Amino acid sequence: MRRTIPVVVALVAAITLVLTACGGGGGNATGSGGSETGAVTEGGILRVGSINYIDSFNPFHFIESQSYNAFIMLYPQLVQYDFQNGQYVIVGDLADSWETSADGKDWTFHLKSGTKWSDGQPLTAEDVAWTANTTAKYASGPTAVMAPSLAHLKSAEAPDPTTVVLHYKTPVGNVLAQLEQFFVVPEHVWSKFDTGDGKGLKTYAPENDLSSMVTGGAFTLKQYEKKGTTVFIPDPNYWGEKPHVQAIALTYYTNADSMIADMKSGQVDWVDQVPFNAVDVLKKDSNIVVQQIPGAETTNITWNSNPYKDENRELLDPQVKKALSMCVDRDKIIEVVFNGYAEKVESLPGKISLYENKNLGPLEHNCAEGNAMLDQLGYKKGPDGIRIAPATTGKYAQPAHKMQYEIMQPTSLDFNGPRAFDIVKEGFAEAGVDVTLKIGGDSTAAYEIETTDHCDPKTNSGYTGWDIAMWDWVGYVDPDFMLSVVTKGQWCSWSDTGWDNPDYDALYEKQGTTVDEKERAAIVQQMEQMIYDNWVYTQLVEEQYIDAHVSGWDGMDPHLNAYAKMYWTRPHKVG
Amino acid sequence: MRGFDYVSKRVLFAVLTVFVAITLNFVLFRTLSGDAVSALRCRQCTQAFKEYQRQQLGLDQSKWEQYKLYLQDLAHGDMGKSLRSEQPVTHELWPPIKNTMAMVALGTAFSIVFGILVGVVCAWRRGTWADKGGLWSGLAFYSMPPQWLGLLMVLFVAGWLGLPTAGIKDPTLGILGDASWWDVFVDRMRHMILPALTLGLVLYGEYALVVRSAMLETLGEDYVLTARAKGLSNWRTVRTHGLRNALLPIVTLVALSLGFIIGGSITIEYVFSYPGIGLEVVEAIDQRDYPILQGAFLLLTLSVIGANLLADLLYFKLDPRVSG
Repeated sequence: MRRTIPVVVALVAAITLVLTACGGGGGNATGSGGSETGAVTEGGILRVGSINYIDSFNPFHFIESQSYNAFIMLYPQLVQYDFQNGQYVIVGDLADSWETSADGKDWTFHLKSGTKWSDGQPLTAEDVAWTANTTAKYASGPTAVMAPSLAHLKSAEAPDPTTVVLHYKTPVGNVLAQLEQFFVVPEHVWSKFDTGDGKGLKTYAPENDLSSMVTGGAFTLKQYEKKGTTVFIPDPNYWGEKPHVQAIALTYYTNADSMIADMKSGQVDWVDQVPFNAVDVLKKDSNIVVQQIPGAETTNITWNSNPYKDENRELLDPQVKKALSMCVDRDKIIEVVFNGYAEKVESLPGKISLYENKNLGPLEHNCAEGNAMLDQLGYKKGPDGIRIAPATTGKYAQPAHKMQYEIMQPTSLDFNGPRAFDIVKEGFAEAGVDVTLKIGGDSTAAYEIETTDHCDPKTNSGYTGWDIAMWDWVGYVDPDFMLSVVTKGQWCSWSDTGWDNPDYDALYEKQGTTVDEKERAAIVQQMEQMIYDNWVYTQLVEEQYIDAHVSGWDGMDPHLNAYAKMYWTRPHKVG
Repeated sequence: MRGFDYVSKRVLFAVLTVFVAITLNFVLFRTLSGDAVSALRCRQCTQAFKEYQRQQLGLDQSKWEQYKLYLQDLAHGDMGKSLRSEQPVTHELWPPIKNTMAMVALGTAFSIVFGILVGVVCAWRRGTWADKGGLWSGLAFYSMPPQWLGLLMVLFVAGWLGLPTAGIKDPTLGILGDASWWDVFVDRMRHMILPALTLGLVLYGEYALVVRSAMLETLGEDYVLTARAKGLSNWRTVRTHGLRNALLPIVTLVALSLGFIIGGSITIEYVFSYPGIGLEVVEAIDQRDYPILQGAFLLLTLSVIGANLLADLLYFKLDPRVSG
């Protein structure tokens, strides 16, 4: 997922924490500083610092990624992820078990019994079915935000209070991964907003009246300050793993330096995302435990791969893009930009993906060979050392021109983007290609890349006026979304490359309806290979995900951030 | 009658300025490509959701239609709804405005008191070490970017004084038990000190320099010499004949710098994660939340115009050349 904003806006915006903070797809956390091995002590207020804020407690209407974390704390899910033995696995939340029909279209979930909402009302399969049916009913309108978690759903029914059956129009390859993002709301509260066009479902803001807010997760909401501190306290009616803390106080920081200063001075217990430049400082503090895991965020060179673009069409040639990529020193980027807290990555979904194709590349740093490839392709160097793209003929004829380009870069990166650009520029210069940096506000740059005013997939218009960008994506355990961003279906929406490859799109559709896991994995890896071979992106590095907590606390598992209720229920004091 | 003409002209000019500002607020934010919906950067923001949002928020209408609607709503005192939260703009802006006003008031009071005090002492003791100290400290703080000074506060002052660097309240205050009003007051003040001090120091530098300059000019006037010749005490000479006559440029400066105060507080609020109007504006810009921006800038415009109008009226009261 593109970061925003932050991480404010892929966070910061963009899905900063929902996906940025999602742990890596392999390997356990490595830590530094003090270690906690004492017994679990119940109680205490866990003060969490974050650079992401909660903008809504309505699962049908939220933008900021931290809201997703709040939903995990407050609302039931049928299933969730856990991190066991070095990999993500689906485990039950409200559902104890589940099975699917032979054709993969019907999924039956058996729910825990005796479950209650925070107001004491029974939490039953009726609530699940109502939420699912209501979401599907307004999928192109008020509930569009949560609708992707129920993609292809035909209907839901509750034959008894602890059984819910989901009927799909077609077999769906990633039903459980989708449902992990589906939050159940209490029918007895929310049904009154299901009137007319259903708009009330989207505009309802439960946080406006905390006394009437009904939840069904491990926590309830005690206090909400949008740009301040939000306080969660355990729900005594909760039916799952009980939290150890008396309260969690989540404070929003616009300035990561302040957050780190507050942690060092003992005013924050846990920072959910440590900036790279602060890691070494925290590691030197014996009272702070730093945990680092393989992250989900990958940075890349984004190539405008729109086959219908008019200018600089030499950059559509995968060999040209490969040659230039071979001149980029990724080790230097890791050391200089990320202080060593990153590693090389080749695939678009990244290492967090269940189906990462490990046979891609690796891309070698060998600029001599890159130069030889460009020479062989006919891009001769001019007297000033800059290569010349020869004139072409035909429908997309272009005159001979110097290989000089702009690289666009949003400002919302959570690393030093201009420094990363400098290293890329050095490499390209070595290859005889001159690039300049064009920095834009995230929404402006993103808009120019993805959705200009004249963008229209039906007429193949859009994705012109720029050639190269440097940006990032935040992957996810299930690769479906990441695979979708290079389809024609995402033109003028999530596609930031303008790539149009019908063969790839056909494979995307196929993996989406393939229920057999092995068969789907093979298709996914074939798609990853296609992306790689076409150099739609040059994947640079994958950031590590790093969190830190003070001594005296334990139980924090960064792998579970934005994936599981255990992320919030397991932290505890020690002593 | 002359007074009525003066006041009515000033008020009319202020009203015209407000109207121009309203229009500019509408136009300027829409000159960039994209809108609030295209600025949505979230995985769940599907194309269907974006299309629905654009329709619901009226962004599919022409700019002219949007402008007419904006003026109509404004005439009814309605500043619209936030494109992001879909809550009324007044509902979204009032809490941050309250936070900013308290912080800016504290910082401004600090700067006025110390700025005038140091400026007067510098002028009175011209050429001494006290003058040099005041002059250099004023120059130093005046030339510091507020956000940089704020970062210095975070890194070197906060830990030393044990003050929080973010937000407006202690995250644990009142969670497990009720907090008294005194506890809340002390906690608010603790959170306000560093941002207010940062703002106050930058403004202090400016005020100290201007007051010093104005006082030096006034103290060189013949009537001050006459006052001294009459045997008035130094303090009375400075207070009654020097400072009072030097007040005019200070009044102008305070009014004119109100815009800077709000502008400067944007970066200060960002450094200290202080949930004020500045922080709200920064995020609204990033999110292309036009109604929030329009509302915020309208209020900022009104505050600047109001302050200037107040300065004009004070001039009428203070300066006999205007009222006479």
